Amino acid sequence: MPDTGTPVARSPIATAPPEIVRAGWAVSGARSGAVLTLTDCTPLTKVAVKAVDEQVLATVLDVPFGRAARQDWGLDDGAQVLVVGSGPGERLVLAAPGRQTHVVDRLAQLTGDALVSVVDLTHGRALVRLAGGGSARLLAHECAVDLGEAMCPDGTALRTAVAGLATDFVRDDRAGMLSYLLHCERSSGQYLFDSLRDAGVELGAEVDGFVPPGI
Amino acid sequence: MRRTPTSPVRRPGRPTGTVPAMTMRLNPQAGEAIDRDDTFTFDWNGRSYPAYGGDTIASALTACGERIFSRSFKYHRPRGLLTASHLDPGCIVQVDDEPNVRGGHRHARAGSRVRSQDTWPSLRFDVKAANGLVGRFLPAGFYYKTFIHPQPLWPAYERVLQRFAHGGVLSAHTPAEAERPRYDKRFAHPDVLVAGGGPAGMAAAVAAARAGAQVLLVEEEHALGGHLRWGGSADLTALADLRDQVAVTPGIEVLTDSVVLGRYEGNWLSVLERGRPDVHERLVKARAKSLVVAAGLIERPYVFAGNDVPGVLLSTAARRLVNLYAVKPGHRAVVFTANAAGDAAAADLERVGVEVVHVEDARHGGDLVRVLGRRGVRAVEVAGGATYSCDLVVTAVGWTAPASLLTMAGDVPTYDARAARFRPDTARLPDDVLATGVVVGDGDLEHLLAHADATGREAARRAAVVAWAWRTALPHRAAEAPPGTEAATRSEAATGTSAATGTGAATGAEQAPDADPVDVPDLPVDAHPELFRAGTHGIVDFSEDVTSQDLLTAVDEGYRGVELVKRYTTATMGPTQGKLEIVNTVAIVAQALGQSIQETGTTTWRPPYAPVTLGALAGRSREPVRHSPMQLWHERHGAVPLVAGAWIRPEHYGDPAGEARTVRQRVGIIDVTPIGKLDLRGPDVAKLLELVYVNRWSKLDVGRVRYGVMCADDGVVLDDGVTARLGDDHYLMSTTSSGAAAVWEWVESWLQTEHPDWRVLVTPVTTAYASINVAGPRSRELLSRLVEGVDLGPDDFGYMHVRTARVAGVDGCVLWRIGFTGELSYEVHVPAGYGLHVWEALLDTGADLGVRPFGVEAQRVLRLEKGHSIVGQDTDGLTRAFSAGLDGLVKLDKDDFVGRPELTWQHEHGDGYRLVGLRPLDGSVVPAEGSQLVEDGQRICGRVTSSRRSPTLGYSICLAQVAAHLASPGCRVSVRLPDGHTVAAVVTEHLAHVDPEGVRLRA
Amino acid sequence: MILLPCPWCGPRGADEFGYVGESRVRPDPGSTTPAEWRAYLYHRRNTAGWTRETWYHRMGCRRYLTLERHTVSNQVRSPAGDVEDTR
Repeated sequence: MPDTGTPVARSPIATAPPEIVRAGWAVSGARSGAVLTLTDCTPLTKVAVKAVDEQVLATVLDVPFGRAARQDWGLDDGAQVLVVGSGPGERLVLAAPGRQTHVVDRLAQLTGDALVSVVDLTHGRALVRLAGGGSARLLAHECAVDLGEAMCPDGTALRTAVAGLATDFVRDDRAGMLSYLLHCERSSGQYLFDSLRDAGVELGAEVDGFVPPGI
Repeated sequence: MRRTPTSPVRRPGRPTGTVPAMTMRLNPQAGEAIDRDDTFTFDWNGRSYPAYGGDTIASALTACGERIFSRSFKYHRPRGLLTASHLDPGCIVQVDDEPNVRGGHRHARAGSRVRSQDTWPSLRFDVKAANGLVGRFLPAGFYYKTFIHPQPLWPAYERVLQRFAHGGVLSAHTPAEAERPRYDKRFAHPDVLVAGGGPAGMAAAVAAARAGAQVLLVEEEHALGGHLRWGGSADLTALADLRDQVAVTPGIEVLTDSVVLGRYEGNWLSVLERGRPDVHERLVKARAKSLVVAAGLIERPYVFAGNDVPGVLLSTAARRLVNLYAVKPGHRAVVFTANAAGDAAAADLERVGVEVVHVEDARHGGDLVRVLGRRGVRAVEVAGGATYSCDLVVTAVGWTAPASLLTMAGDVPTYDARAARFRPDTARLPDDVLATGVVVGDGDLEHLLAHADATGREAARRAAVVAWAWRTALPHRAAEAPPGTEAATRSEAATGTSAATGTGAATGAEQAPDADPVDVPDLPVDAHPELFRAGTHGIVDFSEDVTSQDLLTAVDEGYRGVELVKRYTTATMGPTQGKLEIVNTVAIVAQALGQSIQETGTTTWRPPYAPVTLGALAGRSREPVRHSPMQLWHERHGAVPLVAGAWIRPEHYGDPAGEARTVRQRVGIIDVTPIGKLDLRGPDVAKLLELVYVNRWSKLDVGRVRYGVMCADDGVVLDDGVTARLGDDHYLMSTTSSGAAAVWEWVESWLQTEHPDWRVLVTPVTTAYASINVAGPRSRELLSRLVEGVDLGPDDFGYMHVRTARVAGVDGCVLWRIGFTGELSYEVHVPAGYGLHVWEALLDTGADLGVRPFGVEAQRVLRLEKGHSIVGQDTDGLTRAFSAGLDGLVKLDKDDFVGRPELTWQHEHGDGYRLVGLRPLDGSVVPAEGSQLVEDGQRICGRVTSSRRSPTLGYSICLAQVAAHLASPGCRVSVRLPDGHTVAAVVTEHLAHVDPEGVRLRA
Repeated sequence: MILLPCPWCGPRGADEFGYVGESRVRPDPGSTTPAEWRAYLYHRRNTAGWTRETWYHRMGCRRYLTLERHTVSNQVRSPAGDVEDTR
């Protein structure tokens, strides 16, 4: 077998220099202290769970459609997982990079005999975190959904068009700071990222590198 | 809006001359909107003019004594100011590269270059003014009548006439990115949007915000205040108070220099935001829960002879010039007044030292006859024959309600003869639209503010009802309510389909808002004389140069309705879009028809209310594109991009024929990531496959792959691809690249709407994998160097089998042995993040085997050689399965599959074209795809669907759709080439031109 | 732009949805006649008034939904609803 080197996974979003490798992914080593930042979080583990019956998922995962919540699944590094009620009969579990096996096993355990489909979409989705007080204003350039507190409080999960692209959306504030996770089909990741960056120019948005565990 | 003083930017070589003095500038006025500390100059037709910050182009020029700003549309008459506002039809100018700028509104900017439009050779002496001398030859409908025959000459006429048309000049060169004006879009979700920032709009906004609503207050002028801004001291005190309230009340976002362009269903409002420092124009798409229209009133011009001579001003224009810009509009004035605004204008003029030589009062029977003068008012003749020498005539004859937004919401304004204006019928408005202020009725400021306050509170209350309904319809707020029951009902209320009140009892934590409407007081309506036209004829539509005589002519010629007269004369169709001239037009048409104004009706108001640039409508470009994980590699290796739907793919790397030969002789790799992939799981997947594919699926073993074709229920081929069985209840379906999204939706629709009881779970995984096809006689050799865990030998991994393996150190890769190119080939699906790694590993490892990448073009050639059809190319929207070479595949004996009835009938009747292989007898001719096949020299009997020169065979080959009687091998057909020549071609025995037996791909 | 009441996601702008068309019943493919089948394929009532139609929430929950829409006023209601046209 020829030596082809250790495979390094790549996000569809070009890394802002300097490029470094973390948790098996090529990520940006850039650090920004700007009030509004964009981070490519594609390295996060992303596992989709589907069931014919919405109620089954709402019960076993304890997160209803339309909400997202952090849960402690006993990952060895102590990082939590984010369970996202991304669609009726559809959940997405986000975890630290490289946790596919753990997440899939845990899901099998949780769902038992119920008919569910567990598909690892880590490589199938591009994931971006937008953080800072101006996030909602930035998104208002690209997204027709009302992001006000009443309609989109912390922990909201929804899917809508962002820059004309079907995009999953989680309001996931961090330490009291407004933040959103957005993810779309991997192939449009660069487009989504560029659209957000363009909309963020007048708000001073900067790119910040991904730091594991990142969840 | 304060501007930072900037030194004028000078371009070299531009003539400037001496800077004129601001001879007409007054001492500081109490409510002036100019900043005398901020002085600068700008160019007007090549000469440098001074201005203050806050000056409009019109006010700055008027302050220097300029009175003529344009030539009129048809007769090229000199035109000055009329309204001194955004509407002013006499001051539409070119600013730098931007044409059609409203000079009555746009602030003068230091160093900008302003020119009059369409005046040649100059504004002072305009050649086309000759039109005016022959004006009687340019009656209504002149262009239609004169130039419509002979019709073939119209394009020539049009070119000449365009030189006589108005409009600025677009710069031919595209500015550099950095200099290009930025346009933008954004969305907004106000509870209450208030259209109009005059006293009523401000009061309504404050009241709504105090009631807890988020308010967007939109004002077309540069500052809030409406008519209070150019009023007396009491008005200015009230204005200061209202502005304070707006400023201190939380929840009000103010957009000045912005305008609501239109209202659409569901209170979807387009707002144009102008004059921001960062973007030139921005379109705000606002979904307002309530809309309050506080549009104010627009002053109407009076129709009389000479009413367009520079120096004839509306009373509001005179007051704006004096009070906002401290500019004296003339020296000697005659004021024609029918109302308090005219009286106030006369008082203002006198106060600032304009000699008011005469006030003609319409309330006591006064009237105007004509203005004398061409380039400026010299004198005016009033009723009774008295003539007054003057340079300024001010008219105040009544108002037009800009009911545009209200009519877009379903209102039909009615004519109120006592008030001499159309008034909205607020009872006809939907619940989510309210109106306040003088657009509704009259009364003193106290009345209006009380009405606005109540309207604002009611708007907030209704918005809260809608907000509650929307909020409780959200899944995470109504999780206890299963869809189709309460949540659905609430959601329906949320769209405004039920009455906005009484949406049912509140459940859960959400408290239903107050259901009791606010009592909104009525506004009085003041009597006003009806004044539209004097005994003489004058201009009705200042933008289009339409006279009252033109309207009478049109009626005489049989255009007996205002909509017809409008289209015939073009009255109300110019840049002012009826805002100034509609009521006069209707009144004059009514008079000519001997009808009342109410009977005559009005024309329809449509969006946009104000002009909007295409840049603003386009906004930031939003065209999603898709890339494979290897896209950057392709770009760096000379790939010529191919846009395929949203995907950007390598068409070739410089040598498509060479790439194809590599595949036939050695080994090539192609990026086929866009191929659609659906992960299907559940016990009923086989049922689904039987339903959506025309062929049979019951006996597909685990580890096997099968080719399938989907048809729609009309029997037309929809998509094709291979599907692999990975486990008992686990399949991976592939689709065409372009069909990926459609097939997913197709499968979901059958599952969700026809067979909700089937237990199948579909997850699209198209881009979870980077897909690489490794094709060619040496593909096995190449791949075996990188694959762990699978024996690639023909006995262990045969044609149409699937395996999962580790490839180049990457786990979880799926390998399919299939062969679109007709060669031994493997499709390797790699977890996408490692796509580039595996791609590069294949190229590095296979260098000694001569591996090279190939693009979509080489793949097309290869599959054509092999006779593999492409859905959408070798089929079209009418091609049923038996016309697509799929006879052997369609299993009509299955119980059901989509398209079965139609295909049964097609099979019985044998109708439709057939897909065949075709070879031109002259192998050097490649008939263009789409070339028709003809029979008997003229009858179309088919078409070429694919054609290429085969690099393997050295001659041209085709696939074609051909009439059934010509579809047998050996049949001769004629191919009509696009250049008119025909070439003979023969139908081949197989679709495949290369290796019809399939020896190569089964190797 | 009209708002459509998605029973799953709440009200969303119509541009998030794909319009599938008037709701129809697929005849039994085993016993259908050409006339019946082609009426199913090609004939639409095109009512000026309330019509029952299928939409697909493409940008949202990816569910097919049935709605009733008034083709003149663009009012929308859920199919089970008994909301009267009050305009």
